[in-house]
Amino acid sequence: MYHKETVEQWLSAIRKEMEHACIPDTLETIYIGGGTPTALEAEQLDDLLFLIDPYAKHVQEYTIEINPETLDATKAAVLRIHGINRASIGFQSSDHNLLSLMGRNHTMETMHTCMHLLRRVGITNISLDLMYSLPGQSMAQLQQSLFDALSLKPTHMSLYSLTIEENTVFKKKGYEHLDEDSEADMYEWIVETLHAKGYHQYEVSNFALDGYWSRHNIGYWQYDDFIGIGAGASGKENGSRYDHVRSVQAYIKDPCNRQLIPLSMEDQMFESLMMGIRMKEGMDLAVFEKRFGESFEHHYGTVLAGMLEQGYMEIVDGRLRASEKGYEIMNSLLVEFL
Amino acid sequence: MIDQKHIRNFCIIAHIDHGKSTLADRILEMTETVQQRDMKTQLLDDMELERERGITIKLNAVQLSYHAKNGEEYLFNLIDTPGHVDFSYEVSRSLAACEGAVLVVDSTQGVQAQTLANTYLALDNNLEIIPVINKVDMNNAQPDHTKQEIEDIIGLDCSMAPLISARSGLNVDQVLEQIVENIPCPSGDPDAPLQALVFDSFYDPYRGVIALVRIREGSLKVGDHIRFMETGAEYEVLEAGIRNPKEVRLNELMCGDVGWFAASIKDIHDVLVGDTVTNVDHPADAPLEGYRKMNPMVYCGLYPSDAAKYQDLHDALDKLQLNDASLQYEPETSQALGFGFRCGFLGLLHMDVIQERLEREYNLDLIATAPSVIYHVYLSDGTMLEIDNPAKMPDASRIKRIEEPYVRASIMVPDEYIGAVMELCQNKRGIYKDMQILDTGRNSIIYEMPLSQIIFDFFDRLKSCSKGYASLDYELIGYREEDLIRMDILLNGEPVDALSIIVHRSDAYYRGSAITSRLKELLPRQQFEIPVQAAVGGKVIARTNIKALRKNVLAKCYGGDISRKKKLLEKQKEGKKRMKAVGSVVIPQEAFMAVLSMDDDKH
Repeated sequence: MYHKETVEQWLSAIRKEMEHACIPDTLETIYIGGGTPTALEAEQLDDLLFLIDPYAKHVQEYTIEINPETLDATKAAVLRIHGINRASIGFQSSDHNLLSLMGRNHTMETMHTCMHLLRRVGITNISLDLMYSLPGQSMAQLQQSLFDALSLKPTHMSLYSLTIEENTVFKKKGYEHLDEDSEADMYEWIVETLHAKGYHQYEVSNFALDGYWSRHNIGYWQYDDFIGIGAGASGKENGSRYDHVRSVQAYIKDPCNRQLIPLSMEDQMFESLMMGIRMKEGMDLAVFEKRFGESFEHHYGTVLAGMLEQGYMEIVDGRLRASEKGYEIMNSLLVEFL
Repeated sequence: MIDQKHIRNFCIIAHIDHGKSTLADRILEMTETVQQRDMKTQLLDDMELERERGITIKLNAVQLSYHAKNGEEYLFNLIDTPGHVDFSYEVSRSLAACEGAVLVVDSTQGVQAQTLANTYLALDNNLEIIPVINKVDMNNAQPDHTKQEIEDIIGLDCSMAPLISARSGLNVDQVLEQIVENIPCPSGDPDAPLQALVFDSFYDPYRGVIALVRIREGSLKVGDHIRFMETGAEYEVLEAGIRNPKEVRLNELMCGDVGWFAASIKDIHDVLVGDTVTNVDHPADAPLEGYRKMNPMVYCGLYPSDAAKYQDLHDALDKLQLNDASLQYEPETSQALGFGFRCGFLGLLHMDVIQERLEREYNLDLIATAPSVIYHVYLSDGTMLEIDNPAKMPDASRIKRIEEPYVRASIMVPDEYIGAVMELCQNKRGIYKDMQILDTGRNSIIYEMPLSQIIFDFFDRLKSCSKGYASLDYELIGYREEDLIRMDILLNGEPVDALSIIVHRSDAYYRGSAITSRLKELLPRQQFEIPVQAAVGGKVIARTNIKALRKNVLAKCYGGDISRKKKLLEKQKEGKKRMKAVGSVVIPQEAFMAVLSMDDDKH
């Protein structure tokens, strides 16, 4: 799929960066993202995973993102050999028109094949990504897609409402965001329906059968440090965040060049709230105090008191979380803490 | 040294866009005051805002020397004037410093409402008027027709009127010759005690107030001790000179000259435009006749978005008032907006210009309330209150009657748009008075109507219903009793003082519903439902609800999204900062102008 020479160069860039990055071999979770790593040829995929093997000795959750159109039996076997035990598939929608709007072409048949290939090699922990509030999407279309997704019996689902940002295909084609009420109607229907089917919401956009929460992503929401390798990847360590250039060509030229963003204590406190509050169960206040040497209540006293009093937030079992009425409008709440 | 007999002080008057500034530029160029390579288009409009909008707001004076065909050298003082109806006050200030006026009429448009208004002002000031027919090189020019129009409507002899193109310079030399021949030289005795008319002033951060003056009698020298006769302030002249248009320093301003002086004047209140300057050691007996003080017709509240900028706004208004005596302001407090100023303006454009200058030149972020006129409110106890802020209207039970200002509006309009213009005037509570057919195809319609109707959106509507062909001039004719009531706007059950307006009883229902539905569009959804109501005397006459915010959360937020998502929240926070919190409701700036909204369908 990709130009062979470019892939070779890219792989050696990845190798170079990993050698420099001082990655511990105690990683518990690994996530290979970017939407379409399975677009690599089986051999190339094998080469990539081979580079990661030394760090994956103790990995417990090892996820790869999959574009259903690009997986075949050989690639599935490669994934298994290297210890991958979780897959995240870009299902998006089962509506043909909406899919082609996103430049996707798969059908339910493609999906069935993809799920079967994975399960046959033992990768049974499978998450599906769905998009909703797509331009022109009706409630009935969303319902059909969700039921189609459920019929594939995933262990986990991520449901993202589409945000039409500058420089995206949607924006250029002149699509408008669905109105707030329709989007909220869809969201509320999703939460309710999935709950009834045993998929419990544990984060704003994430739902899982019991025991199948994404451990890797929980790390982000707990504001833990993480390492990012490759073009466009980010990481966080020692109170700084870093970003790699998005362009693959620029990355190949200089894979160890990352832009460092130092974070003040205030930045980190806010970000840990911004991430933590996304979890349905909220943020552990004891961890916050241990991490920053100051209690959350002390640092955000007045704002927090207002939130609790007006019932937008609550503290339960030492965790601060958004209440039912605050959860869906958490941006408005977070702004108050800035 | 140039003899007083060789000085000519003149201004150029015209309807807006008839080519006044372009002619001024050509004259500057042809008298070689400005080299062509130094020319920016429209040199006299040196305020950024003026050049952008293509209008002249502030007068500006330059000195030029002209070698006439009779072989002699003349000194011209050209004083630019604004063309818009709001600024007739500024025009009259310019006129007081001149002996003559060049009247520019666009031959593709003919005589317009302000051609008349400005000509009458010039005639009132006993100025010699030189009519000039402009844009004769355009395809649709009708120079003969235009000349005829000027003779018929204004009564000026146009047999000698130069037919020019200010853009190309065609026949502009004839204008210069006529200035020499027809405009009288300044009178005045060079040996008499100094009398200099202050016709403008501005503030220079290094040199203090700079006063622009016309020397009527005597002379003014560097080192002279001078006194402002009205304020009594005394200073020593440190610098004097003219502009060409760059500043040129001179030792002395002679009788008949138009120039400037600086005296390290730090207190801007010492210099009043219209005041007379005299010499302390050799004083004049009496001041010159000043200007008719122009009273503001339109008021609005100006508030800093950031309450901490109140003093900055105060200082900025002080400085603007220095060369804009028609701007008035006094502190006021609004429950909704905090501390600010109630400001008076000559008209809507004036209001716009001041707001923009405050924001641009003084870097202030402002919230403006909807403009209001001054109402005369007669109470049952016989007293009369002048109300320029609807929120200050007393309780209806105490009011005997309310009068509002009326204007006489003259509108010039071609035949095909008469119907549309008349319909507009009727809708604006206009009372038809008269119509004159000026010549083939053009008419002058006279209406009397409430000033409050003109300041809303009349001018824009007039332009759009006549495809830009109609022109307007208006003058205040007095106060009339009307059935007026105060309408309050309530957000979340609380009246917001800055949103109150005074309306005619018959308009209350549709204005109330237009405003509430406009507010529904403008106010962001908040965490709770907000009822928006319009009420008269405690009775709700229109109501709508802004539904509570339902979903405001980021869909995807993993490790790589943190920076971007935080920026998004910071942007939301910034946006909120620029709004005013009234009780628990946040209101964006533009919502305070929502009370101007009209519901077109119901009109």
